Amino acid sequence: MTSGVAPGGGAPASVGEGHVRSAAPRRLNPIWIREMQQAARFTMTPILLAVLTSAMALLLCAIGGIASVSTAPAEVGHVLYQVFFSLAYAVVTWIAPAIAASTVASERGGRTWEALLLTGMTPTEVARGKFLAALTYIGAYVVMLAPVGALPFLFGGVTAVEVVMAFVLLGVFAVLGVAFGLSVSARFTSSAAAVVVTLLVSSNLSIAGYLGLGVGISFGVHELWSGVTAGAPVWMPTAYVRGDFGLEYVAILVFAPLVFTLVPAWFLYEGTIASMASPSEDRSSGLRRWLMVCTPLVTLACVAALPVAPSDEFAAAALATTVLWTFLTFAVFVVAGEPLGPSRRVRVRWDREGATRLGRYLGPGLMNASTMVLGLGFGALLTVGVAGVVLELWRGGPSAEVDALRVALFTAYVASFFGFQVGFGAWCRSRAGGASLPRFLQAGALLVAFLGPWVLMAIAGLLTRGADGSYVVASPSPVYAAYMMELVASTRPERESLLLAGVVAALGWLVLGVALLGAAGRRASKVVAEHAAAIARLEAALEAEDAAAREEVEVVPSAPGVRGPRELA
Amino acid sequence: MNAEVPGESRFVPAIRVRHLWHRYGAQDVLRDVNLEVRPGEIFGFIGPNGAGKTTTIRVMATLLEPMAGRVEVDGFDVSVDPERVRKVIGYMPDHAGVYDRITIREYLEFFAQAFGVPDLAVVDAALELTDLRNLQDRLVAALSKGMKQRLGLARILLHDPKILILDEPASDLDPRARIEIRDLLLELREIGKTIFLSSHILTELSDVCTSVGILERGRLLVAGPIAEISERLAEQRARDAYGVDRAVAPPAAEGTAEAEGGPAVGAEPSEPAGPSVTAGGAPVPGSARRRLKLRVLGDSRAVVPLLEGGAGIGVVEALPAGQLAVEYVGDDRFVADVVRYLVGRGVGVVAVEPERNELERIFLEVTKGELQ
Ligand SMILES: Nc1ncnc2c1ncn2[C@@H]1O[C@H](COP(=O)(O)OP(=O)(O)OP(=O)(O)O)[C@@H](O)[C@H]1O
Ligand SMILES: [Mg+2]
Repeated sequence: MTSGVAPGGGAPASVGEGHVRSAAPRRLNPIWIREMQQAARFTMTPILLAVLTSAMALLLCAIGGIASVSTAPAEVGHVLYQVFFSLAYAVVTWIAPAIAASTVASERGGRTWEALLLTGMTPTEVARGKFLAALTYIGAYVVMLAPVGALPFLFGGVTAVEVVMAFVLLGVFAVLGVAFGLSVSARFTSSAAAVVVTLLVSSNLSIAGYLGLGVGISFGVHELWSGVTAGAPVWMPTAYVRGDFGLEYVAILVFAPLVFTLVPAWFLYEGTIASMASPSEDRSSGLRRWLMVCTPLVTLACVAALPVAPSDEFAAAALATTVLWTFLTFAVFVVAGEPLGPSRRVRVRWDREGATRLGRYLGPGLMNASTMVLGLGFGALLTVGVAGVVLELWRGGPSAEVDALRVALFTAYVASFFGFQVGFGAWCRSRAGGASLPRFLQAGALLVAFLGPWVLMAIAGLLTRGADGSYVVASPSPVYAAYMMELVASTRPERESLLLAGVVAALGWLVLGVALLGAAGRRASKVVAEHAAAIARLEAALEAEDAAAREEVEVVPSAPGVRGPRELA
Repeated sequence: MNAEVPGESRFVPAIRVRHLWHRYGAQDVLRDVNLEVRPGEIFGFIGPNGAGKTTTIRVMATLLEPMAGRVEVDGFDVSVDPERVRKVIGYMPDHAGVYDRITIREYLEFFAQAFGVPDLAVVDAALELTDLRNLQDRLVAALSKGMKQRLGLARILLHDPKILILDEPASDLDPRARIEIRDLLLELREIGKTIFLSSHILTELSDVCTSVGILERGRLLVAGPIAEISERLAEQRARDAYGVDRAVAPPAAEGTAEAEGGPAVGAEPSEPAGPSVTAGGAPVPGSARRRLKLRVLGDSRAVVPLLEGGAGIGVVEALPAGQLAVEYVGDDRFVADVVRYLVGRGVGVVAVEPERNELERIFLEVTKGELQ
């Protein structure tokens, strides 16, 4: 028998073992090592890698060979560059999430997850190990592809920096893809289901990103910097070389990518850890910190985009508001999973650690979360709205005041509706047992609110034979906010009443939201109080039992000089 | 939390379950379970399928949040300090998986590192203890169930936990492996581990356990050392027979939620939940009726008259192949007296077997065969 399994059963449990783990830094994440050992025995890996690499090489050579007959080598190099990195992008954005998606879910499905938890590894450590493992795996693909990727460089037409930047970007997509797959995986117990869901989402996102952020934006960037080819999906790495340094360079090539990477990556990280932790843990603080930092960040990005918008400033402001609203709606969905109040574990921890008021506010609790989302959301929408209005007035022009009014009305409607969303979400959560039903209801409410009034309007229009007044019926739909922007400049006779209808509808949403939030608050505090009372009752009962037990011990005649517990107390 | 009350022998129970309730959907799976396991005990947890054993065990192992009640392991509340509890327990689930494409040694080294064990020599020790050394380079996925069970045991020994919680550790083992596991458990107890295990196989438990608890339909019916329970039941039977003292609920009282064992709140609040249940393993005063099996040379029927009517002897029954079943009241000394007496009368006593299935009898007596 050697050290570990030693007689006596280890050290006394009370000696601050909480610190042992952190005091002895581990060399490498054990999960990572294990996954690598497993991967090394997976004989398919090298075959897959070899097949993929040779296929890519052959494809590139074929394209290069055919193209070089009629085209200048520099042109061929650029085309090959686009083709290669488009394919590599596809490989990374499809394979990376899929690899990561199976990891945590397979531990759950394979009944190894609990053994892992019981080792005392924290969800953070597990997540890091899994993340590193999946990233290493996808990294192997990228490394294998690297020599093929250098091929276009040989033709000329692209610089070495452009190739390197493209690989860096590939790395960023790999990180995001792995983080996404992991966050899905952490919520599933079956790895097949996790992979399917991940692939469904990531493939769509991948295509949308390719067409939107790749091909789409390249035209705008080409206007700005003519060196960047219009319609070339892999424009970004070339823009770092070909763009002219300035405010736009920083905004488009530094600030925007940072926001686009950090906001989702951080969210996925916190979300993964929260889904892996037990429900009694504090699963809220991380996501709330993310919200607290990222809402201003996204707002800032939206505001920053306003001045560079080419024409129709009010439309740009509306677009910025819509983007912000989408982000905030996402936040509402995140908060819909919030527990009504902190668990006993969390409470005890707070008391032990002397948690600050802010710390507790960020912790689990439906009302904390809802008020925070509401406050942040109103602040963000107000900022964008005010920025939009100020920009309109500052730019001047004949329609400045009308446009300013348009922006103000639009933002105000959106903000009011957002107030309803938060209130409704909180109310659903306070009534439901879990997190999925409130989210489902929230989605349903959005759909009904957006489309319902228009359907009703269509019906009303049929009944009233297309009188313009029937638009009033549509006023509760948030889409009406866009219609209001049009109304402001119109000269219709019903203009006033239709605008008024919109304002009343917006106010209605806000009032409804506040009322629902109030109801949710009352309900939540009732439930929390009941929970606390139940704990107190149990505690009292246990205490009474203990007291009775002590009394019984005291009755037993004790040896001389031995005092009973009563006397000591 | 771990503080002992000075001046008396109060200890921190290895496991203390108090008024534990659990519910799946609308079904109460555990109803007011109370039990206490002292350090150094081997506690056997028995019950029909679906009684709630695994549920109780998972709460102890911090994997399931108790809905009501308090569960303490080594003085730490499982719902407040799961991290600390995890450090002192080794939990082996009833059906665990293993990783693909990894050898036994790698598997154990991985867990040793995950546990944060500074020295990987523990892997060798664990391999040694579970007799897996010769197989250390085999892939774990290719192991038989029994081997996996051993591997599971090796895994939970790596961080040197004080308390082992085993859910049906012998369920997939062959008879030989079962005996080996039993010896291993005794060995582990020797080196100071407390062991809590659930099982269906009663004879196996009665061989190793210092105490047992019987769970049925989410209620703990009885708990304590086997001899003591047996004693209590005999008393109970006597009381029931004479119709006295019905105030104390009989074990199978219809409809009452608290069918003895760990007394429930409400019923007998004055009685402490734990200690009365598992008060030591002291020899029992010989008031319970027991059975003994004897094998003698020659015809056993000839021996019956010798014993019948003797003080402390009840029904004596002659069985085939020179065997005798003797009912008696008394302790081991009494048995020795009987043997001495028979030998003195020239009877060739070949074998004396105490009743092996005492636990089985208890089990049948307190459970009603209802499933949930
Ligand atoms: N995840 C679950 N969801 C719903 N019901 C469950 C769940 N797990 C267990 N149960 C129910 O709880 C009851 C107790 O189950 P448990 O697994 O604790 O029993 P057990 O005593 O371990 O049984 P066995 O001897 O078969 O292992 C059973 O009726 C079972 O159907
Ligand atoms: Mg079970």
